[in-house]
Amino acid sequence: MGIFDVLTGKRKVKQPAESRLFAMATAAITLEMSLELKSSRKAAIVFQPLATADFSSIVSDMEEVLRGTGEDTGTGVERTDDAFGYRWMVLSDDEFEDLVVGINVVSQALQDGGYGERILCAVFAFRDPQDNPVYWIYNYKRGTYYPFVPAGGDQRRDSERELRLKAQIGHELPVEAELERWFPLWGIPI
Amino acid sequence: MARPTSFGRDTGLQLRMALTLFLLGLVYVILIVALLASGASGVTVALIAGGLAVFQLFGSDKLALRAMGAREVTPAEAPELHAMIDRLCVQADLPKPKVAVADTRMPNAFALGRSPKNATVCATTGIMELLSPAELEGVMAHELTHVANRDVLVMTLAAFFATIAAYIVQFGFLFGGGSSDDDDNPSAMVLFLVSIGVYVVSFFLMQALSRYREFAADRGAALITGRPSALASALTRISSGMDRIPQSDLRAQKELAAFYIFPPGAGKAIGGLFSTHPPMEKRIAALERLERQLQGVPA
Repeated sequence: MGIFDVLTGKRKVKQPAESRLFAMATAAITLEMSLELKSSRKAAIVFQPLATADFSSIVSDMEEVLRGTGEDTGTGVERTDDAFGYRWMVLSDDEFEDLVVGINVVSQALQDGGYGERILCAVFAFRDPQDNPVYWIYNYKRGTYYPFVPAGGDQRRDSERELRLKAQIGHELPVEAELERWFPLWGIPI
Repeated sequence: MARPTSFGRDTGLQLRMALTLFLLGLVYVILIVALLASGASGVTVALIAGGLAVFQLFGSDKLALRAMGAREVTPAEAPELHAMIDRLCVQADLPKPKVAVADTRMPNAFALGRSPKNATVCATTGIMELLSPAELEGVMAHELTHVANRDVLVMTLAAFFATIAAYIVQFGFLFGGGSSDDDDNPSAMVLFLVSIGVYVVSFFLMQALSRYREFAADRGAALITGRPSALASALTRISSGMDRIPQSDLRAQKELAAFYIFPPGAGKAIGGLFSTHPPMEKRIAALERLERQLQGVPA
Protein backbone atom coordinates (compact mmCIF):
# COMPACT_ATOMS: atom_id res chain seq x y z
CA MET A 1 0.00 0.00 0.00
CA GLY A 2 1.43 3.32 -1.08
CA ILE A 3 1.81 6.48 0.95
CA PHE A 4 -1.11 8.05 -0.90
CA ASP A 5 -3.36 5.19 0.16
CA VAL A 6 -2.25 5.66 3.76
CA LEU A 7 -2.89 9.40 3.68
CA THR A 8 -6.27 9.31 1.99
CA GLY A 9 -7.58 5.94 3.10
CA LYS A 10 -7.51 2.73 1.14
CA ARG A 11 -10.19 2.51 -1.50
CA LYS A 12 -9.87 -0.93 -2.99
CA VAL A 13 -10.26 -4.45 -1.74
CA LYS A 14 -7.40 -6.59 -2.97
CA GLN A 15 -8.13 -8.59 -6.10
CA PRO A 16 -7.01 -12.21 -6.40
CA ALA A 17 -3.31 -12.74 -7.02
CA GLU A 18 -2.18 -14.61 -10.10
CA SER A 19 -3.74 -18.00 -9.74
CA ARG A 20 -1.57 -20.82 -8.47
CA LEU A 21 -4.59 -22.94 -7.68
CA PHE A 22 -3.55 -25.70 -10.06
CA ALA A 23 -0.38 -26.43 -8.11
CA MET A 24 -2.65 -28.57 -5.95
CA ALA A 25 -3.41 -30.93 -8.83
CA THR A 26 0.13 -32.29 -8.81
CA ALA A 27 0.80 -31.77 -5.11
CA ALA A 28 -2.14 -34.02 -4.29
CA ILE A 29 -0.22 -36.95 -5.82
CA THR A 30 2.72 -36.31 -3.50
CA LEU A 31 0.36 -35.91 -0.56
CA GLU A 32 -1.15 -39.30 -1.25
CA MET A 33 2.00 -41.18 -2.26
CA SER A 34 4.54 -40.05 0.32
CA LEU A 35 2.48 -38.47 3.10
CA GLU A 36 -0.42 -40.93 3.16
CA LEU A 37 -2.97 -38.18 2.89
CA LYS A 38 -5.91 -39.23 0.78
CA SER A 39 -8.31 -36.79 -0.76
CA SER A 40 -11.71 -36.92 0.89
CA ARG A 41 -13.03 -36.52 -2.68
CA LYS A 42 -14.39 -33.16 -1.73
CA ALA A 43 -13.33 -29.56 -2.18
CA ALA A 44 -15.07 -26.28 -1.55
CA ILE A 45 -14.83 -22.65 -2.51
CA VAL A 46 -16.02 -19.96 -0.11
CA PHE A 47 -17.21 -16.50 -1.10
CA GLN A 48 -19.36 -13.62 0.10
CA PRO A 49 -22.66 -13.62 -1.76
CA LEU A 50 -23.60 -10.02 -2.47
CA ALA A 51 -27.26 -9.11 -2.27
CA THR A 52 -27.38 -7.61 -5.76
CA ALA A 53 -29.29 -8.74 -8.84
CA ASP A 54 -26.11 -8.67 -10.90
CA PHE A 55 -24.23 -10.90 -8.50
CA SER A 56 -27.12 -13.37 -8.14
CA SER A 57 -27.34 -13.82 -11.89
CA ILE A 58 -23.60 -14.44 -12.18
CA VAL A 59 -23.79 -17.04 -9.42
CA SER A 60 -26.80 -18.82 -10.88
CA ASP A 61 -25.19 -18.87 -14.35
CA MET A 62 -22.04 -20.26 -12.80
CA GLU A 63 -23.97 -22.97 -10.96
CA GLU A 64 -25.69 -23.96 -14.15
CA VAL A 65 -22.36 -24.32 -15.97
CA LEU A 66 -20.98 -26.28 -13.04
CA ARG A 67 -23.92 -28.69 -12.95
CA GLY A 68 -23.81 -29.01 -16.74
CA THR A 69 -20.15 -30.02 -16.83
CA GLY A 70 -20.67 -32.00 -13.64
CA GLU A 71 -22.97 -34.36 -15.55
CA ASP A 72 -20.08 -35.24 -17.87
CA THR A 73 -17.33 -35.47 -15.26
CA GLY A 74 -19.45 -36.84 -12.44
CA THR A 75 -18.85 -33.85 -10.19
CA GLY A 76 -21.47 -33.31 -7.52
CA VAL A 77 -22.34 -29.74 -6.55
CA GLU A 78 -23.79 -28.65 -3.24
CA ARG A 79 -24.46 -25.17 -1.92
CA THR A 80 -24.60 -24.13 1.72
CA ASP A 81 -24.53 -20.78 3.53
CA ASP A 82 -22.69 -20.70 6.84
CA ALA A 83 -23.43 -18.78 10.04
CA PHE A 84 -21.10 -15.96 8.98
CA GLY A 85 -23.04 -15.32 5.79
CA TYR A 86 -20.47 -16.88 3.47
CA ARG A 87 -21.50 -19.27 0.71
CA TRP A 88 -19.83 -22.63 0.30
CA MET A 89 -19.91 -24.38 -3.06
CA VAL A 90 -19.00 -27.94 -2.16
CA LEU A 91 -17.84 -30.14 -5.02
CA SER A 92 -17.44 -33.90 -4.82
CA ASP A 93 -15.67 -36.04 -7.36
CA ASP A 94 -13.55 -39.20 -7.33
CA GLU A 95 -11.09 -37.61 -9.73
CA PHE A 96 -9.02 -35.07 -7.82
CA GLU A 97 -8.22 -33.09 -10.93
CA ASP A 98 -11.90 -32.55 -11.68
CA LEU A 99 -12.23 -30.97 -8.23
CA VAL A 100 -9.49 -28.46 -9.00
CA VAL A 101 -11.03 -27.72 -12.38
CA GLY A 102 -14.47 -27.28 -10.81
CA ILE A 103 -13.13 -24.86 -8.18
CA ASN A 104 -11.46 -22.93 -10.95
CA VAL A 105 -14.75 -22.71 -12.87
CA VAL A 106 -16.37 -21.02 -9.86
CA SER A 107 -13.55 -18.58 -9.16
CA GLN A 108 -13.12 -17.78 -12.84
CA ALA A 109 -16.83 -17.05 -13.23
CA LEU A 110 -16.74 -14.67 -10.25
CA GLN A 111 -13.59 -12.98 -11.51
CA ASP A 112 -14.95 -12.61 -15.04
CA GLY A 113 -18.08 -11.07 -13.56
CA GLY A 114 -15.83 -8.53 -11.81
CA TYR A 115 -16.36 -9.94 -8.33
CA GLY A 116 -13.00 -11.64 -7.79
CA GLU A 117 -12.46 -9.74 -4.55
CA ARG A 118 -15.49 -11.48 -3.00
CA ILE A 119 -13.76 -14.88 -2.98
CA LEU A 120 -12.52 -15.85 0.47
CA CYS A 121 -10.70 -19.10 -0.19
CA ALA A 122 -10.80 -22.62 -1.57
CA VAL A 123 -10.49 -25.66 0.66
CA PHE A 124 -9.21 -29.11 -0.29
CA ALA A 125 -9.96 -31.83 2.23
CA PHE A 126 -7.71 -34.80 2.93
CA ARG A 127 -7.83 -37.64 5.44
CA ASP A 128 -4.86 -39.23 7.16
CA PRO A 129 -4.72 -43.03 7.75
CA GLN A 130 -6.52 -42.51 11.09
CA ASP A 131 -9.27 -40.72 9.17
CA ASN A 132 -8.54 -37.34 10.77
CA PRO A 133 -9.16 -34.36 8.52
CA VAL A 134 -6.28 -32.36 7.07
CA TYR A 135 -7.13 -29.31 5.02
CA TRP A 136 -5.19 -27.27 2.52
CA ILE A 137 -6.62 -23.79 2.19
CA TYR A 138 -5.95 -21.65 -0.87
CA ASN A 139 -5.92 -17.88 -0.23
CA TYR A 140 -6.91 -16.26 -3.53
CA LYS A 141 -5.73 -12.78 -2.59
CA ARG A 142 -2.22 -13.98 -1.97
CA GLY A 143 -2.11 -16.96 -4.32
CA THR A 144 -0.79 -19.19 -1.55
CA TYR A 145 -1.75 -22.39 0.19
CA TYR A 146 -1.52 -23.22 3.87
CA PRO A 147 -2.33 -26.34 5.87
CA PHE A 148 -5.05 -26.40 8.50
CA VAL A 149 -5.34 -29.38 10.87
CA PRO A 150 -8.10 -29.20 13.50
CA ALA A 151 -6.94 -31.03 16.61
CA GLY A 152 -10.34 -32.08 17.91
CA GLY A 153 -11.92 -30.24 20.82
CA ASP A 154 -13.07 -26.70 20.38
CA GLN A 155 -11.01 -24.29 18.31
CA ARG A 156 -7.75 -26.14 18.64
CA ARG A 157 -5.38 -26.77 15.78
CA ASP A 158 -2.40 -29.02 15.48
CA SER A 159 0.22 -26.38 14.65
CA GLU A 160 3.09 -28.86 14.89
CA ARG A 161 1.53 -31.05 12.22
CA GLU A 162 0.81 -28.01 10.04
CA LEU A 163 4.43 -26.89 10.22
CA ARG A 164 5.61 -30.40 9.45
CA LEU A 165 3.30 -30.52 6.44
CA LYS A 166 4.77 -27.25 5.22
CA ALA A 167 8.27 -28.76 5.44
CA GLN A 168 7.19 -32.02 3.83
CA ILE A 169 5.44 -30.53 0.85
CA GLY A 170 8.49 -28.37 0.13
CA HIS A 171 8.26 -26.44 -3.09
CA GLU A 172 5.46 -28.40 -4.65
CA LEU A 173 2.93 -25.91 -3.31
CA PRO A 174 3.32 -22.16 -2.93
CA VAL A 175 2.96 -22.16 0.87
CA GLU A 176 2.08 -18.92 2.66
CA ALA A 177 5.30 -17.65 4.24
CA GLU A 178 3.73 -15.48 6.95
CA LEU A 179 2.46 -17.77 9.68
CA GLU A 180 0.13 -15.09 11.04
CA ARG A 181 -1.83 -15.45 7.82
CA TRP A 182 -2.57 -19.12 8.34
CA PHE A 183 -6.14 -18.23 9.23
CA PRO A 184 -8.16 -21.10 10.68
CA LEU A 185 -11.54 -21.94 9.21
CA TRP A 186 -13.70 -23.69 11.77
CA GLY A 187 -16.63 -25.87 10.94
CA ILE A 188 -15.50 -26.82 7.43
CA PRO A 189 -18.38 -28.92 6.06
CA ILE A 190 -16.20 -31.29 4.00
CA MET B 1 -26.04 -5.20 -16.35
CA ALA B 2 -22.45 -4.10 -16.03
CA ARG B 3 -20.45 -4.58 -12.90
CA PRO B 4 -20.77 -1.51 -10.66
CA THR B 5 -17.23 -0.27 -11.06
CA SER B 6 -18.07 2.93 -9.24
CA PHE B 7 -18.45 0.98 -5.98
CA GLY B 8 -16.44 2.79 -3.33
CA ARG B 9 -15.46 5.71 -5.51
CA ASP B 10 -15.72 8.98 -3.64
CA THR B 11 -13.56 11.63 -5.23
CA GLY B 12 -15.00 14.37 -3.03
CA LEU B 13 -13.84 12.61 0.11
CA GLN B 14 -10.35 12.07 -1.31
CA LEU B 15 -10.12 15.74 -2.27
CA ARG B 16 -11.33 16.97 1.09
CA MET B 17 -8.90 14.73 2.89
CA ALA B 18 -5.99 15.84 0.70
CA LEU B 19 -6.94 19.51 1.19
CA THR B 20 -7.12 19.07 4.97
CA LEU B 21 -3.71 17.41 5.04
CA PHE B 22 -2.30 20.17 2.86
CA LEU B 23 -3.65 22.92 5.12
CA LEU B 24 -2.41 21.09 8.19
CA GLY B 25 1.04 20.86 6.63
CA LEU B 26 0.95 24.56 5.80
CA VAL B 27 0.04 25.55 9.34
CA TYR B 28 2.80 23.35 10.69
CA VAL B 29 5.41 24.85 8.40
CA ILE B 30 4.58 28.23 9.93
CA LEU B 31 5.06 26.76 13.39
CA ILE B 32 8.38 25.13 12.46
CA VAL B 33 9.68 28.43 11.11
CA ALA B 34 8.64 30.17 14.33
CA LEU B 35 10.22 27.40 16.39
CA LEU B 36 13.54 27.66 14.60
CA ALA B 37 13.47 31.44 14.80
CA SER B 38 12.91 31.33 18.55
CA GLY B 39 16.13 29.40 19.15
CA ALA B 40 16.96 26.81 21.76
CA SER B 41 13.89 26.86 23.97
CA GLY B 42 11.52 26.14 21.08
CA VAL B 43 13.64 23.27 19.83
CA THR B 44 13.73 21.79 23.35
CA VAL B 45 9.95 21.78 23.51
CA ALA B 46 9.81 20.12 20.09
CA LEU B 47 12.17 17.38 21.27
CA ILE B 48 10.15 16.74 24.42
CA ALA B 49 6.92 16.60 22.45
CA GLY B 50 8.58 14.28 19.93
CA GLY B 51 9.60 11.93 22.72
CA LEU B 52 6.08 11.91 24.09
CA ALA B 53 4.64 11.20 20.65
CA VAL B 54 7.00 8.26 20.19
CA PHE B 55 6.08 6.95 23.62
CA GLN B 56 2.43 7.33 22.73
CA LEU B 57 2.91 5.42 19.49
CA PHE B 58 4.85 2.57 21.00
CA GLY B 59 3.61 2.31 24.55
CA SER B 60 0.06 3.49 24.78
CA ASP B 61 -1.75 0.40 23.48
CA LYS B 62 -1.57 -1.55 26.70
CA LEU B 63 -2.42 1.50 28.78
CA ALA B 64 -5.40 2.30 26.61
CA LEU B 65 -6.65 -1.26 26.73
CA ARG B 66 -6.34 -1.27 30.50
CA ALA B 67 -8.08 2.08 30.77
CA MET B 68 -10.99 0.57 28.84
CA GLY B 69 -11.05 -2.52 31.04
CA ALA B 70 -10.35 -4.62 27.98
CA ARG B 71 -8.28 -7.77 27.82
CA GLU B 72 -6.98 -9.88 24.99
CA VAL B 73 -9.00 -13.01 24.32
CA THR B 74 -7.89 -16.32 22.82
CA PRO B 75 -9.81 -18.04 20.01
CA ALA B 76 -11.14 -20.54 22.57
CA GLU B 77 -12.58 -17.73 24.72
CA ALA B 78 -14.28 -15.84 21.89
CA PRO B 79 -14.57 -18.30 18.99
CA GLU B 80 -17.14 -16.40 16.96
CA LEU B 81 -15.40 -13.03 17.19
CA HIS B 82 -12.09 -14.63 16.23
CA ALA B 83 -13.60 -16.55 13.32
CA MET B 84 -15.28 -13.39 12.07
CA ILE B 85 -12.05 -11.41 12.23
CA ASP B 86 -10.12 -14.25 10.56
CA ARG B 87 -12.41 -14.07 7.56
CA LEU B 88 -12.35 -10.29 7.39
CA CYS B 89 -8.55 -10.36 7.51
CA VAL B 90 -8.44 -12.72 4.54
CA GLN B 91 -10.77 -10.39 2.65
CA ALA B 92 -8.86 -7.26 3.61
CA ASP B 93 -5.48 -8.98 3.12
CA LEU B 94 -4.32 -8.05 6.62
CA PRO B 95 -2.32 -10.03 9.16
CA LYS B 96 -4.39 -11.04 12.14
CA PRO B 97 -4.53 -8.35 14.83
CA LYS B 98 -4.84 -9.07 18.53
CA VAL B 99 -8.45 -9.41 19.58
CA ALA B 100 -9.65 -7.92 22.85
CA VAL B 101 -12.98 -7.73 24.63
CA ALA B 102 -14.05 -5.06 27.11
CA ASP B 103 -16.60 -6.17 29.64
CA THR B 104 -19.03 -3.28 29.55
CA ARG B 105 -22.62 -2.91 28.51
CA MET B 106 -21.87 0.15 26.39
CA PRO B 107 -22.02 -1.00 22.75
CA ASN B 108 -18.76 0.09 21.15
CA ALA B 109 -15.64 -1.08 19.36
CA PHE B 110 -12.24 0.43 18.68
CA ALA B 111 -8.88 -0.25 17.10
CA LEU B 112 -5.40 0.48 18.44
CA GLY B 113 -1.86 0.13 17.20
CA ARG B 114 0.55 2.00 14.97
CA SER B 115 0.78 -0.58 12.19
CA PRO B 116 -1.19 -3.59 10.95
CA LYS B 117 1.37 -5.91 12.56
CA ASN B 118 0.94 -4.29 15.99
CA ALA B 119 -2.78 -3.77 15.93
CA THR B 120 -5.46 -4.65 18.43
CA VAL B 121 -9.17 -4.56 17.75
CA CYS B 122 -11.54 -4.48 20.66
CA ALA B 123 -15.28 -5.01 20.97
CA THR B 124 -17.36 -4.56 24.10
CA THR B 125 -19.58 -7.32 25.39
CA GLY B 126 -22.43 -4.84 24.94
CA ILE B 127 -21.94 -4.54 21.19
CA MET B 128 -21.65 -8.29 20.76
CA GLU B 129 -25.00 -8.76 22.49
CA LEU B 130 -26.70 -5.89 20.71
CA LEU B 131 -25.81 -6.53 17.07
CA SER B 132 -26.61 -9.33 14.65
CA PRO B 133 -23.60 -11.20 13.19
CA ALA B 134 -23.78 -9.28 9.89
CA GLU B 135 -23.94 -5.94 11.71
CA LEU B 136 -21.08 -6.85 14.02
CA GLU B 137 -19.09 -7.91 10.96
CA GLY B 138 -19.61 -4.44 9.49
CA VAL B 139 -18.39 -2.81 12.70
CA MET B 140 -15.31 -5.03 12.95
CA ALA B 141 -14.57 -4.38 9.26
CA HIS B 142 -14.76 -0.65 10.06
CA GLU B 143 -12.16 -1.13 12.82
CA LEU B 144 -9.96 -3.27 10.59
CA THR B 145 -10.07 -0.50 7.97
CA HIS B 146 -8.77 1.89 10.63
CA VAL B 147 -5.92 -0.59 11.05
CA ALA B 148 -5.34 -0.94 7.29
CA ASN B 149 -5.39 2.83 6.83
CA ARG B 150 -2.96 3.23 9.75
CA ASP B 151 -5.24 5.80 11.30
CA VAL B 152 -3.52 5.75 14.69
CA LEU B 153 -0.19 6.58 13.04
CA VAL B 154 -1.65 9.21 10.73
CA MET B 155 -3.58 10.93 13.50
CA THR B 156 -0.64 10.81 15.93
CA LEU B 157 1.67 12.33 13.34
CA ALA B 158 -0.96 14.86 12.33
CA ALA B 159 -1.32 15.79 15.99
CA PHE B 160 2.43 16.00 16.55
CA PHE B 161 2.90 19.70 15.83
CA ALA B 162 -0.46 20.56 17.33
CA THR B 163 0.89 18.98 20.53
CA ILE B 164 4.01 21.12 20.36
CA ALA B 165 1.89 24.20 19.86
CA ALA B 166 -0.25 23.19 22.83
CA TYR B 167 2.82 22.82 25.04
CA ILE B 168 4.11 26.21 24.03
CA VAL B 169 0.74 27.78 24.72
CA GLN B 170 0.58 26.11 28.13
CA PHE B 171 4.14 26.77 29.20
CA GLY B 172 4.78 29.82 27.08
CA PHE B 173 4.74 32.09 30.09
CA LEU B 174 7.62 30.13 31.56
CA PHE B 175 9.81 30.87 28.56
CA GLY B 176 8.66 34.41 28.27
CA GLY B 177 8.78 34.93 32.03
CA GLY B 178 12.31 33.55 32.37
CA SER B 179 13.73 36.93 31.60
CA SER B 180 12.12 39.67 33.59
CA ASP B 181 10.78 41.70 30.67
CA ASP B 182 9.43 40.53 27.34
CA ASP B 183 11.35 43.08 25.30
CA ASP B 184 14.49 40.98 25.75
CA ASN B 185 12.97 38.13 23.87
CA PRO B 186 10.57 39.23 21.19
CA SER B 187 10.88 35.95 19.27
CA ALA B 188 9.46 34.04 22.27
CA MET B 189 6.42 36.30 22.18
CA VAL B 190 6.03 35.73 18.44
CA LEU B 191 6.36 32.00 18.96
CA PHE B 192 3.72 32.16 21.67
CA LEU B 193 1.27 33.98 19.43
CA VAL B 194 1.99 31.74 16.43
CA SER B 195 1.45 28.72 18.64
CA ILE B 196 -1.97 29.92 19.72
CA GLY B 197 -2.91 30.40 16.09
CA VAL B 198 -1.52 27.03 15.05
CA TYR B 199 -3.21 25.32 17.96
CA VAL B 200 -6.65 26.73 17.14
CA VAL B 201 -6.46 26.18 13.38
CA SER B 202 -4.94 22.71 13.63
CA PHE B 203 -7.59 21.73 16.16
CA PHE B 204 -10.33 22.26 13.62
CA LEU B 205 -8.32 20.66 10.83
CA MET B 206 -7.63 17.62 12.99
CA GLN B 207 -11.28 17.22 13.81
CA ALA B 208 -12.14 17.47 10.12
CA LEU B 209 -9.45 14.93 9.24
CA SER B 210 -10.76 12.58 11.90
CA ARG B 211 -14.28 12.82 10.46
CA TYR B 212 -13.02 12.14 6.94
CA ARG B 213 -11.16 9.10 8.17
CA GLU B 214 -14.35 7.83 9.76
CA PHE B 215 -16.06 8.13 6.39
CA ALA B 216 -13.11 6.32 4.82
CA ALA B 217 -13.36 3.56 7.43
CA ASP B 218 -17.11 3.18 6.79
CA ARG B 219 -16.39 2.97 3.08
CA GLY B 220 -13.60 0.45 3.65
CA ALA B 221 -15.90 -1.68 5.79
CA ALA B 222 -18.54 -1.64 3.06
CA LEU B 223 -15.92 -2.69 0.50
CA ILE B 224 -14.62 -5.54 2.64
CA THR B 225 -17.99 -6.98 3.61
CA GLY B 226 -19.93 -6.01 0.50
CA ARG B 227 -22.80 -5.08 2.81
CA PRO B 228 -23.03 -1.31 3.32
CA SER B 229 -26.55 -1.58 4.69
CA ALA B 230 -25.50 -3.96 7.45
CA LEU B 231 -23.11 -1.33 8.80
CA ALA B 232 -25.77 1.37 8.44
CA SER B 233 -28.16 -0.77 10.43
CA ALA B 234 -25.48 -1.38 13.05
CA LEU B 235 -24.90 2.38 13.37
CA THR B 236 -28.57 3.12 13.98
CA ARG B 237 -28.79 0.35 16.49
CA ILE B 238 -25.66 1.43 18.35
CA SER B 239 -26.75 5.05 18.47
CA SER B 240 -30.14 4.21 19.90
CA GLY B 241 -28.47 1.81 22.33
CA MET B 242 -26.03 4.54 23.34
CA ASP B 243 -28.79 6.92 24.28
CA ARG B 244 -30.45 4.43 26.55
CA ILE B 245 -27.31 3.81 28.53
CA PRO B 246 -25.87 6.49 30.80
CA GLN B 247 -22.52 7.82 29.62
CA SER B 248 -21.14 9.53 32.69
CA ASP B 249 -19.07 6.69 34.09
CA LEU B 250 -17.39 5.88 30.82
CA ARG B 251 -15.67 9.05 29.78
CA ALA B 252 -12.69 7.72 27.94
CA GLN B 253 -9.54 9.60 27.04
CA LYS B 254 -9.95 11.94 24.16
CA GLU B 255 -7.35 10.35 21.88
CA LEU B 256 -9.17 7.07 22.20
CA ALA B 257 -12.44 8.62 21.17
CA ALA B 258 -11.18 9.11 17.64
CA PHE B 259 -11.10 5.40 16.99
CA TYR B 260 -14.38 4.36 18.43
CA ILE B 261 -16.98 3.12 16.04
CA PHE B 262 -19.20 5.59 17.77
CA PRO B 263 -17.94 8.34 20.06
CA PRO B 264 -18.95 8.29 23.71
CA GLY B 265 -21.22 11.22 24.46
CA ALA B 266 -22.40 11.45 20.88
CA GLY B 267 -25.95 11.94 22.01
CA LYS B 268 -25.15 15.43 23.17
CA ALA B 269 -25.47 18.33 20.79
CA ILE B 270 -21.91 19.05 19.75
CA GLY B 271 -21.26 21.51 16.98
CA GLY B 272 -20.22 19.74 13.80
CA LEU B 273 -16.84 21.43 13.79
CA PHE B 274 -15.93 20.14 17.22
CA SER B 275 -16.65 16.47 16.78
CA THR B 276 -14.28 13.67 15.88
CA HIS B 277 -17.06 11.66 14.24
CA PRO B 278 -19.42 12.76 11.47
CA PRO B 279 -23.08 12.89 12.43
CA MET B 280 -24.93 9.61 12.16
CA GLU B 281 -27.25 10.76 9.40
CA LYS B 282 -24.33 11.68 7.19
CA ARG B 283 -22.61 8.37 7.76
CA ILE B 284 -25.80 6.49 6.98
CA ALA B 285 -26.37 8.61 3.87
CA ALA B 286 -22.82 7.82 2.72
CA LEU B 287 -23.41 4.11 3.28
CA GLU B 288 -26.67 4.36 1.37
CA ARG B 289 -24.75 5.89 -1.54
CA LEU B 290 -22.37 2.93 -1.40
CA GLU B 291 -25.27 0.50 -1.44
CA ARG B 292 -26.67 2.26 -4.51
CA GLN B 293 -23.27 2.06 -6.23
CA LEU B 294 -23.10 -1.61 -5.35
CA GLN B 295 -26.59 -2.28 -6.69
CA GLY B 296 -25.75 -0.35 -9.84
CA VAL B 297 -28.55 2.15 -9.28
CA PRO B 298 -27.68 5.53 -10.76
CA ALA B 299 -27.20 8.19 -8.12
